[in-house]
Amino acid sequence: MKTYDVIVIGAGNGGLAAAANCAKAGLSVLLLERHNIPGGSASSFVRGRFEFEPSLHELAGIGDEKEAGTIEEVFNRIDADVEWCRHDSTFRLVVPAKEGDTDTFVNEDGVLVTVDARMPVGFEAFSRKLDELVPGSYSSCRKAFDLSINMFKAFDCLEDLSKLPGSLKDVPDIMTMVSHTMKEALDDLGMPKKAQDIFNTYWCYMGSPASQFDFLYYLCCLHSYVRSGTGIPKYRSHEMSLSIDKKIRDFGGDIWYNSEVTKIIMKDGKPAGVVINGEKEVYGKQFICNSYPYKVFTELMDKKDVPEMQLKMLNARKTACTLTTVYLGMNKTKEELGIKDYSIFIAPDSDSDKQYEAAQNYFSGYCIINCLNEIIPDCTPEGTSQLFLTTMTFGDVMKDIRPQDYKKFKTKVAEDMIETCEKALNISIKPYIEEIEIALPPTFARYLNTPLGTPYGYMLEKWDSMLPRTIQYIKDQPFDNFYFCGATQERGDGYGCAYYTGEKAAGLVIKKMKEGK
Amino acid sequence: MAKHFNNLKGTKFLKMLPDRQARFKAARAEMPSFSDNATALAKALHPKRQYLKVADVKVMAEDCRSFTLVPDESKGTKALAYFGAGKYLTVFETIEGMPVTRAYSISSSPKDSLEGKYVLTIKLVEGGLMSQYIFDNWEVGSQVEVSAPAGNFEYQPLRDAKKVICLAGGSGITPFLSMANAINDGDEDFELTLLYGSRNYENILFRQELDELQTKCDKIKVVHVLSDKGAKVPKDCEKGFITAELIKKYAPENEAYSVFLCGPQQMYEFVDKELEKLELPKKYIRHEMFGEFHNPQNQADYPAGIPETVRITVTIQDKTYIIKGKSTDSVMQIIEQNGLAVPARCRSGECGFCHSHLISGKVYVPKHLEYRRLADYKFGCIHPCCSFPLTDLEINVPVAK
Repeated sequence: MKTYDVIVIGAGNGGLAAAANCAKAGLSVLLLERHNIPGGSASSFVRGRFEFEPSLHELAGIGDEKEAGTIEEVFNRIDADVEWCRHDSTFRLVVPAKEGDTDTFVNEDGVLVTVDARMPVGFEAFSRKLDELVPGSYSSCRKAFDLSINMFKAFDCLEDLSKLPGSLKDVPDIMTMVSHTMKEALDDLGMPKKAQDIFNTYWCYMGSPASQFDFLYYLCCLHSYVRSGTGIPKYRSHEMSLSIDKKIRDFGGDIWYNSEVTKIIMKDGKPAGVVINGEKEVYGKQFICNSYPYKVFTELMDKKDVPEMQLKMLNARKTACTLTTVYLGMNKTKEELGIKDYSIFIAPDSDSDKQYEAAQNYFSGYCIINCLNEIIPDCTPEGTSQLFLTTMTFGDVMKDIRPQDYKKFKTKVAEDMIETCEKALNISIKPYIEEIEIALPPTFARYLNTPLGTPYGYMLEKWDSMLPRTIQYIKDQPFDNFYFCGATQERGDGYGCAYYTGEKAAGLVIKKMKEGK
Repeated sequence: MAKHFNNLKGTKFLKMLPDRQARFKAARAEMPSFSDNATALAKALHPKRQYLKVADVKVMAEDCRSFTLVPDESKGTKALAYFGAGKYLTVFETIEGMPVTRAYSISSSPKDSLEGKYVLTIKLVEGGLMSQYIFDNWEVGSQVEVSAPAGNFEYQPLRDAKKVICLAGGSGITPFLSMANAINDGDEDFELTLLYGSRNYENILFRQELDELQTKCDKIKVVHVLSDKGAKVPKDCEKGFITAELIKKYAPENEAYSVFLCGPQQMYEFVDKELEKLELPKKYIRHEMFGEFHNPQNQADYPAGIPETVRITVTIQDKTYIIKGKSTDSVMQIIEQNGLAVPARCRSGECGFCHSHLISGKVYVPKHLEYRRLADYKFGCIHPCCSFPLTDLEINVPVAK
């Protein structure tokens, strides 16, 4: 039996990027995936005459004709073929008025709101718009973007891990940003509270509210969105995953689907192989794992083989948020429905910490509504459109739901989400639903095999934020031939983050194999 | 660099790494245990396999039997997966060394599954490999392996009208019987009018059960439509076929209604034309899957000059096989005929479970069975269950699981 140079466990975004890069470098690679298609979250599914995007809201790393974006470069490096669609927008935040709110107005849709912010692309335009909505916020917003332009120096420092953390001392603002939360930093910069709330709208893409999340990383993400706008693949994210699948094969790598790793074989205190579907053994020298540390250490290894520190890390960390998504195939166009934006965030309260608190239960009133036709007009047949509603929850929100209650519960949550959108946008959705699919945490648990069904990894808390995770990455790995990649690692969730960790793990493995270790 | 922050300093940064390490160090070194009902629900609703035993066989008609299936605890199945009325089970059998699968709608109610019982009502298909095998072999005590409940043929209150006209032909009654029971049990909430096509009154499957449900529950109405020339047509029954006129007669007048169809291919061909006359919005018409498709050469768009036999190079994990088969059989059938297992669920193109990579060669896919994703076309992926070889093929198939 052949011993592979590298076995990659899981064909999520991280695993795909890892396998492609290892194969490109000439290593013999076996990529194992329990599902029958690649991508994990990056996939698609068909209902009737609609093909739905299951998870991707927007990619911030798709550049323009002049300059490729960071995510685009991941694909360019391996010459994977994806047709990108671009859109010059960031987000629209709508906060409907509640009883007792004083600062209200009727917006363009005829809805009484406290916030309606449609934010443009471009640092200057974004800052001006924010100032128009909340007078007196321009200079703090501009300052933040100035900082964000400088912050890429920090990432240059990260390139050479041997010099860390000392080398960061040369960029004092970076050290300030990374060690303070969004709230602390924006307060210090003098941004009015209401402007902060609008500025912080993307917090849910990272899964930690303003009082928890570090300013550096948030700014980094917002910077990418505001700089380049939104990108999306033409044929749903299944296209991205299949394009990498093809390159792995072209580079001579093997991919086995329906092939779940059910055990890690240990030899001399470190991984030497895996058992697939409980029956077939395959051996490898290096391992890159896109599955969750929790699954690996509780299900794939004997307790005696698990390094003590790994158990401690599992116990210290909090599983990140879970998502609920409603996919709607509509028998009306977006114009007929009255939808004017690609991405609208509807929040019960503009404050991210209050949104976080509310999201401990179903249904908090927090809902993101996306309309893919805004970017890809012909993504559905003529006269139709597709919508995609998302809300998030934290913790074991399914605890009182029995199997026989599940269908009714799902329908109720979906109905609440749809009605929230109808009210907040003063539009009608329900009568025009031709296809509907509802995904709750059990759906994601089924397809992603993650604890609680989270797609987000471990919560990026104040004490366990991106930069320390990055600096500690190698020390955090359980064995010297076993590297994790994906949402559980330094950058948390997000397509770009997962590809990054896959490429990084591949780089380390390639280096080792070349050095003959 | 200009000073940006007013009061904040970077000194805290130096403590971040030690703090993080201290936090990890202080944590328990035990296997973590936390309540995860999302995963528990996913496992309960979608087990990889269910191991069952036949507990009862009921002869419904000369060519139709109902099999009551219960958990086979000796093989590890302790409870049955709950399901929404309308779902099917895929049955796995090995017939003369050939792994075979078929999907059958569950005819019993969701509630019955909580009490450890599924019923599959199976019609003997002329020349049908699986149905013949089941009729010859399944008896009380037989061990049976099935999938988790699957499929999308279900009532969805946010999508479908409150009133549903269900059109059934022959053994296509099974999902509707489950739905009617679910309504009677309070597990589903809609008004079901069943127009049930049978050859004659004596031939009606589940006649007594349907009568009882109609009497017990005012949301259920059953109308038998009898097609045999010269068949006696008792009171409250209709004669002939399911036409637009007949649907109109039982449909609500000034109110939206959905139409659900389940029956043989010939019924769909006839009824679909009738439905066109009613000009219903697409969202109100839902078909159960067509079942396995045969004889692609009879389709108008099937190309000419296709060789009778083809060679297929199949790679499954690290093994490659070279096999031969008839070009009029699906790629899935050819692989199975050669004794290899293929991942299969619906066998109708829809579920995508058999998603495979076509490395070289060409296939024909009947238009009405196209459920592939857009990127599948771009990267040469197919669903072998409804792909028919036009040339020799090279194909990469996931292992059957």
